[in-house]
This record gives sequence, C-alpha cells and structure tokens, in this order.
Amino acid sequence: MAIDVRNPTPPNFVRLAGPDQVPAHVRPDLIRSAGITFGPEFLAAPHKFMADMHNTLPPLFYDVNPFGNAWQAIKHEDALFILRHADIFSNEGATPFPRDPDDYFYFIPIEIDPPQHRKYRNIVDPLFSPQGVLKLESMMRQLANELIDDIIDKGECDFSTEFGRPFPVTIFLRLMGLPVSMTDTFVEWAVALLHSNDRAIMAETMKSISAYLKQAIAEKKATPDDGVISLIAHAAPDGEPLCDKEIFGFVIFLFIGGLDTVFATLNNVWLWLANNPDRRTEMLADPANINAQVEELLRVHSVTFSGRTIVKDVEMRGVQLKAGDRITCILPACNFDPDVFPNPTAVDFHRPKKIILAFTVGVHSCMGAHLARLETKIAIQEWLKRIPEFKVKDGTEIVYRPGGVIGPHHLPLEW
Amino acid sequence: MPTITYVEANGTSHQVELQNGENVMRGALYNGVDGIVGECGGGLACATCHCYVDDAWASKVGSPTSQEEREMLESAVGEIKPTSRLSCQIEMSDALDGLVVHLPEAQY
Repeated sequence: MAIDVRNPTPPNFVRLAGPDQVPAHVRPDLIRSAGITFGPEFLAAPHKFMADMHNTLPPLFYDVNPFGNAWQAIKHEDALFILRHADIFSNEGATPFPRDPDDYFYFIPIEIDPPQHRKYRNIVDPLFSPQGVLKLESMMRQLANELIDDIIDKGECDFSTEFGRPFPVTIFLRLMGLPVSMTDTFVEWAVALLHSNDRAIMAETMKSISAYLKQAIAEKKATPDDGVISLIAHAAPDGEPLCDKEIFGFVIFLFIGGLDTVFATLNNVWLWLANNPDRRTEMLADPANINAQVEELLRVHSVTFSGRTIVKDVEMRGVQLKAGDRITCILPACNFDPDVFPNPTAVDFHRPKKIILAFTVGVHSCMGAHLARLETKIAIQEWLKRIPEFKVKDGTEIVYRPGGVIGPHHLPLEW
Repeated sequence: MPTITYVEANGTSHQVELQNGENVMRGALYNGVDGIVGECGGGLACATCHCYVDDAWASKVGSPTSQEEREMLESAVGEIKPTSRLSCQIEMSDALDGLVVHLPEAQY
C-alpha cells in the first residue's frame, strides 16, 4: 500500500506477542520460542547459536516471544526472495523505534517502499558509493592512528570505548557536517536508544536526538555546507524540495542506522582477531587480499536483522504466510547457510565471491555498506600495522546483551 | 556528453546522456531505466546490475575487469553470455559514445 510520505501517520498493524496470540493459519509444528537476541543460549555465543540454527530449527518457523511473534527465515535463498519482493514484504512500520503519534514521521528511506524509495536514495547514493566513500579514506586513516596514539603505550585498552565507538561516530559526525565535540553525546544517545531495552528511556532519548537534529537542520538550511545534512536539507528531487518531515526522517534514520552497526561489527571482528593470532599473521602476509578478508569477516560477524510486514498472502517452503504476519530474516544465520557457504563457520579468505547478507539485499540494501566496509578495512589495516600482537585481557568474561545489534558489550584488550 | 542506449528485454530502448566517468549502472538508476537494480550501489556485492554489451561494442568494452566481477556474475539470475558484464563496472567515456547495452529479463 502506498503511503503519503509528506503526511506521515502511524501504521495500524497489529503486533502479536506471546503464545496466546498465534494466528490460526500457523502450523503448530512450526511454532518455536528460540530466544533470539535474549535467551541465555543465544547470549552465550550469538554467532555460534545462529550458525547452529540450520541444525536445530526448521528453515522457516514461527517464533513466539514477549516482544513480537514473527516468522523467522534463516535460509540464504529465502532471505533473497523476501528482501527482493517489496510488494509482498513491506517495510512500512518495520522500524521499532518509538515516535510521538501526534508528531509522527517516517524513517527515510528504510520505511518507504518502491517506487517512492528511489527518489531518496538518489540524493545520497553518490556520496555513499564505493567511489564516494574513498574521498574519506585519508581522514579515516588519520583518525584511526590518532585513536591508536592515545592507547598504544598503555599496553591495554577497552576496545569498545577507546576505538570501536569513537572511530565510526567521529567519521559519521564529520560526514554529516556535525561538530566532532558531540562524539560522547552521540555515543550516549546511541547506547540509550539501542541498548536500554526500556521504552521510556528510548522515548526520552528520541526526544533529545530529535531536538538536536532539528536545530542542526535549521542551521544547515540557513548556512549550507558540504555535509550530508545540508545535502538533504537542500535536496529538490524533480525540482521539488523535501518537506521538513522528510528531511528530519532522513537525517535521524542515518543517525540510527550508522552508529551502532559498525561499532558492533568492529567489536566482533576484534574479538576474533584477538583470539586468532595465526589468522592475523595470515592476513598481514597477504595484504593484497584485504577486501576479501573484510568481506569474509563481515559474513561471519554480521550484526543485524531485516524485519518486514507481509502485505500479500504468499506460500514459501510449503508454508502459508498471510497478510499481516511479520517476518524476520536472521541475516547472520543466512550467512551461515551451508548450501551457499560450505563449512560455513570456517573463516576462509579465499571463498568464491557470493552475495553476503551483512548489509541485507533488495532495494533497502544498506546505503552505508561501502562506508562500513571501508571503515572496517582501514581500522584493520592501521591497527594491525601498529598493534599486530594483542589478546583479550586475562580474566575477561565476554558478555552480550539483548538487542537488535549483535556484538560483545565490552572488549578489554592487552598487548 | 557520451550517449548510451539501454535496451530492455521487451525491446523498449532508452537513450540517455551520461557524464564521462559515470558508470552504466547508475546511469540507468538516475534516468528511470527499469531492468537494472544495482542494489549494492556498485560495490561488486550483488549481481543485480547485469547487462549484455551489444556485440558491436563487446571488444571495445572488454570482458570483466576483475576476478571479483567474474565470480559475482555467477550469482546473476539471467543467462550468462560471453558479453555479460556487471554494469557498475563499465565507466562511460568518449570512447564509448553510442554504447548499446541489453538488459536481462530480470535481475533476480
């Protein structure tokens, strides 16, 4: 169904939760409560759990839990089908962040289905293209080295707070045209919004972020610069300027989409690097293969999920899905599909190139994917150059917390 | 500016001008040419900008420029022909003025 982007209204999908709210068409033998993102088995080792799903769960099952019942897709080919058929699997209402129903806005472009979606992507895609992000390369390398300067002589660091968070957040602020002095505040907002698991804290944080961004948008409207906020604020696709709600929904979505995902990815990758000294040596010995190394590390350390609302009845794998049902593609599990990636948990830097789902696929394929790839690559290169030997600090317990972005909470390292 | 013609599988053709340096995938997206999706944004990560270079242009455009492009092409759903390319890897230039590319029936 088409929405009116300029006059946003909250979706009226019914959210079902818990065992008493299972639609009648769901086959009882496909109902599970897998505890994805919150159960103790999941949190003990999330990526191992998601790789094992191919042995322990049906390829398409209906998960019942207190947060929202939904179909769960774990096969690579099913995810491609779901994510590439926006006419059946809609993104409207797919983003779970609280908004004031009386001052509603859409997250743009993620909540906008085709054909309206392309208009927004065309505004920013050149900046986020592989060629576009390369312009940031030298700034990124310098930033990585500045962060390393601050920790290298200590012989230890908390990777999360001293590199994993400030690296992508600082790049984001510069790209957007916001002051880098806001780094700590932005980090706090990202943590509160994405990891508090508390609707009241999330709503309060949304208010703070909204107020700040609205003021920033007003400034950029008055004084244009070459940052992304200014670009969006002054965009006029087909000669028609975006309205305030479009601009705001676009800018705030970039904030939500861009900060936590790269952080979680870096934490995951650094935990693996710390635990695999031989593989670090292998990577350093083959610097020309860095792109394939990054791609393979992104495959096995994917951090997020793609949720959709079914808007047309459809059958998949002999299972009837009905309009109104919710469905989640468990992207990290899809990246461990043994039918596409043989011996899926082995990190193999020489695999034939395939479509990985780290950045989802379809029209809503992550617009920041090439930025994230470049950030990951540069972080690895600059770090390993200067701190080639490091390990997880003795006595550390690696803890994962429930939430929609998967990575260890803290990562104390020493060298 | 050099001109390119996109010919859809149903025969509909679109002639557009592209700046030198712009790639053939984005040229389609910006000009509303159906038949190219380019969902990854030009990073050799999706195989949804598959095209067939017209026979008359095949030698000038050349074959895939990297092992990555060759491998990624195998994930394309359309038939793979000797003239198959990922259009994000073809950059427009004066030498390609008049280029004709044919689009597969579907990108997925």
